Amino acid sequence: MTEVAINPVNRGWWYSVRAYVNKNLVNIFAGGLFLVLAIFLVYPIAAVLIKSFWGDDGLTFDFYREFFTYNFYYWSLINTLILGLSTMVILLVVGFCFAYLTTRGPEWLRKPLKIVALLPLAAPPYIFSISLITLFGRNGFINNLFNFDFNIYSWVGVIAAQCLAFLPLSYMMIENVLNSLNPSIEETAADMGATEYKIIRSITIPLAAPGLLKAALLVFVMTIAEFGNPAILGGRTPFLAPDTYLMITGEGDFNMASVLSVILILPCVVIFVLHNYVLKGKGYATIVGKATPTEKKEIIPGIKIPFMIITFAVGLLVVMSFVVILVGSFVKIVGVDNTFVMDHIVNTQSNTAIYNSIKVSLAAGFFGAIVGTLLAYVIMRGKFFGRHAMEMMALSGFALPGTVIGVGYIIAFNNPPFLLTGTIWIIILNCVFRFLAVGVEAGISKLHQISIEIEEASADLGADFLTIFFRIILPIMFSAFIAGFIYTFMTTMMSLSSVIFLVTPGFDLASVYIYLTAQLGELGLASATTVKVIFIVAIGMGILKIIARKTGFDVSKKQGA
Amino acid sequence: MENRRSPMLELVDIHKSFGDVEVLKGISSSIEKGELLTFVGPSGCGKTTLLRIVGGFTPATSGRVILDGQDISSLPPNMRNTKMVFQSYALFPHMNVRKNIAFGLTLKKWSKTEINKRVDEMLELVHMEGLGERHIDQISGGQQQRVALARALALGPKVLLLDEPLSNLDANLRVVMREEIRKIQEQIGITTIFVTHDQYEAMSISDRLLVLKDGVIQQIGSPVEIYEKPANEFIAGFVGYVNILNGKINERANGSNTFKISTTYGDIEIDSEREDIGDGDEILVVVRPESLSLKKPNSAQKLNGIKGTVLTHMYAGNHSKYSVKVGDKNIVVDQHNPKDSPRYQHNDTVELLIPRNAHILKRQ
Repeated sequence: MTEVAINPVNRGWWYSVRAYVNKNLVNIFAGGLFLVLAIFLVYPIAAVLIKSFWGDDGLTFDFYREFFTYNFYYWSLINTLILGLSTMVILLVVGFCFAYLTTRGPEWLRKPLKIVALLPLAAPPYIFSISLITLFGRNGFINNLFNFDFNIYSWVGVIAAQCLAFLPLSYMMIENVLNSLNPSIEETAADMGATEYKIIRSITIPLAAPGLLKAALLVFVMTIAEFGNPAILGGRTPFLAPDTYLMITGEGDFNMASVLSVILILPCVVIFVLHNYVLKGKGYATIVGKATPTEKKEIIPGIKIPFMIITFAVGLLVVMSFVVILVGSFVKIVGVDNTFVMDHIVNTQSNTAIYNSIKVSLAAGFFGAIVGTLLAYVIMRGKFFGRHAMEMMALSGFALPGTVIGVGYIIAFNNPPFLLTGTIWIIILNCVFRFLAVGVEAGISKLHQISIEIEEASADLGADFLTIFFRIILPIMFSAFIAGFIYTFMTTMMSLSSVIFLVTPGFDLASVYIYLTAQLGELGLASATTVKVIFIVAIGMGILKIIARKTGFDVSKKQGA
Repeated sequence: MENRRSPMLELVDIHKSFGDVEVLKGISSSIEKGELLTFVGPSGCGKTTLLRIVGGFTPATSGRVILDGQDISSLPPNMRNTKMVFQSYALFPHMNVRKNIAFGLTLKKWSKTEINKRVDEMLELVHMEGLGERHIDQISGGQQQRVALARALALGPKVLLLDEPLSNLDANLRVVMREEIRKIQEQIGITTIFVTHDQYEAMSISDRLLVLKDGVIQQIGSPVEIYEKPANEFIAGFVGYVNILNGKINERANGSNTFKISTTYGDIEIDSEREDIGDGDEILVVVRPESLSLKKPNSAQKLNGIKGTVLTHMYAGNHSKYSVKVGDKNIVVDQHNPKDSPRYQHNDTVELLIPRNAHILKRQ
């Protein structure tokens, strides 16, 4: 019955090789990509995990015992959780105020508030450490002005910096939730006589609750993973991410650094599971059919005024931070010696660091976009087992704390066969695989728009797989490729937490240089370098916006540095 | 069909399973050169799968596809001389009309002048002269359809495959494009397979139809054969309305082609050359509404009919539609309406005349 059809024409071995490759190229690519992901993502993470259990005498739990015995260690966990929780709570309130006003508030306020809330996206998170030190530090502008004796190197400082840094994340998610609530529900409640307080309490917040929870969890994860702010402002207070760095640079204790990393991953994993499995699909989509544009109604003063006070205060801090950084790059010391100088801007070390960063970021962007595009294609069009696992792997770099991957890279690539430590490649690869997610997602969403029939049509017209890939798929996916490229470029420019483990003395990146100068109190240099980074990132963002307008794909809706 | 040439395309016992589900259960058929054959059937019948097997996009589980005498079963789409127009048209969004049409030619490494000449011919063929530089999103759905057709025809395939090409167009345009496709097909005489789920589309465009259901060929035949001589109840009900009467062969006079049939509603006679039906067989009499006619009952005249009562009469100008109750059955009759022709009202008793050439089927 089963008759195997035999091709009557003998076309020789070259034809059969080509036919084989043509038929299986997707799977061949998939195999290669699996290998690459395994080496550059799974292996470093596994190395950290192993290192936390594996001492000089083999398998041991001593490091974990040590962690939970010495208060210096376990307090860093407790502090980190406190930092995460307090930032989360504050940002839930502040983000809600911003989102409420920009979605339901007075028309004239909406746009400026939105811009202010999103402004921190244009800068690395640790910009706020520098600005807060400039404003409230021992020699701070405001401290001097009002004769405060306020210490910014404290809990307050760290929390404030974190809140400002992650304001956009919280704002975007909450605004999205509030926008998805049907205004006529709130109107119905008002129609039945509910006051605005009552509506917020019993309609808006309960309906938004699942979305708010998701926003809160994400803020929590991003905050505890953040390295720069607690490292610069933490003073003597131990936090997990900076301590991991100290463990390696100060003590050379890779085992303990691994333990700290694993402890830092745990909450991330818990929240990832919550986010993806428990909360998945939860939420109220209350807009059914066409959303009715409703008559704008005034928010009552009892709500408007407190909300405005909160948003104005926070907004003012955001704007002042940017101003102070800009001014700080051109004067000797803000508020102390306001003479105009160009020293900070033309500083050779700073410019070398910027130059290095651009070089690394361009390379990371280029390779990241290639790997991301290929992954997206293979995941969408391949028919092999484990596509879902591959997608998870590709996205994991984004979810895991940068310090952990940084530690993983120095442990994993310190020895042959993968001896990369000390080279520029370890930094590039690290950034490629950490920021892969956006390129992959951009590619996947682009491929969703392309009918598989287009590829079949090309094959029908005589194209083999490589021709289809280069002449049809790549051109169509080009916008996704560029989006992945620029996004990786931007995040690499700003990234600190991972690369700080990987740079060698004498090869500074901009972010590392900013961190080091901020630590030394060289605020002018730190500010000037930050301004340059912001300038470069802003150009990238502008290009992304143009792409988004042309193609409908918006990557600026994602955050993570 | 007198001069038997070898067919352009032959399908030999094609089977296809997806996992445990067998979607094609042994399809064999052939298409003559220049013929337009339609694969038609309800959704899920396997018609698109069969087309994709012909095009090389889906491998058959077993069976062979023979194109112009050559077994192409194992060739990938790009090595087959069949070209497909996809349901979504699958035009390349980053190329203009000309580049889309030229795509296959550039892969074949045609020279620039040859390509330009060919593309111009194709644009003329599909009436798109002067629109070559347009971008794909700057032309209408019907024009996109034309470009897809031109792109497939540019390479001069031996067989053209059309996968529900009209399903994305609105109703009026569908009729226009249907006629257009048929005209182009006849003009260049290309052997074509057309897939659709729309019976009327299939009837009006095809030389022959291949009706599929549950992965089995129900009937292959010309539109007239499908309509007038359906091979089974499914086909009978597939196009248009059909009345079906249960009956039994009483007697087939020796050597004659007259069947005496008894039904629960009365005895009738039908002339047929069917050899596979004999005395005692349970059969179905299949009659279209327009083949029936109504008469006033007249005992003096022996007519080939059965008695019934008019339930409803719908006057629609050129014809009248009657619903006539015969026993427990409602029979639909379309009566032509010349001026002053007799009309019947609710509750009138009528004689329902069965044409002697009515189609009969063996009951399954």
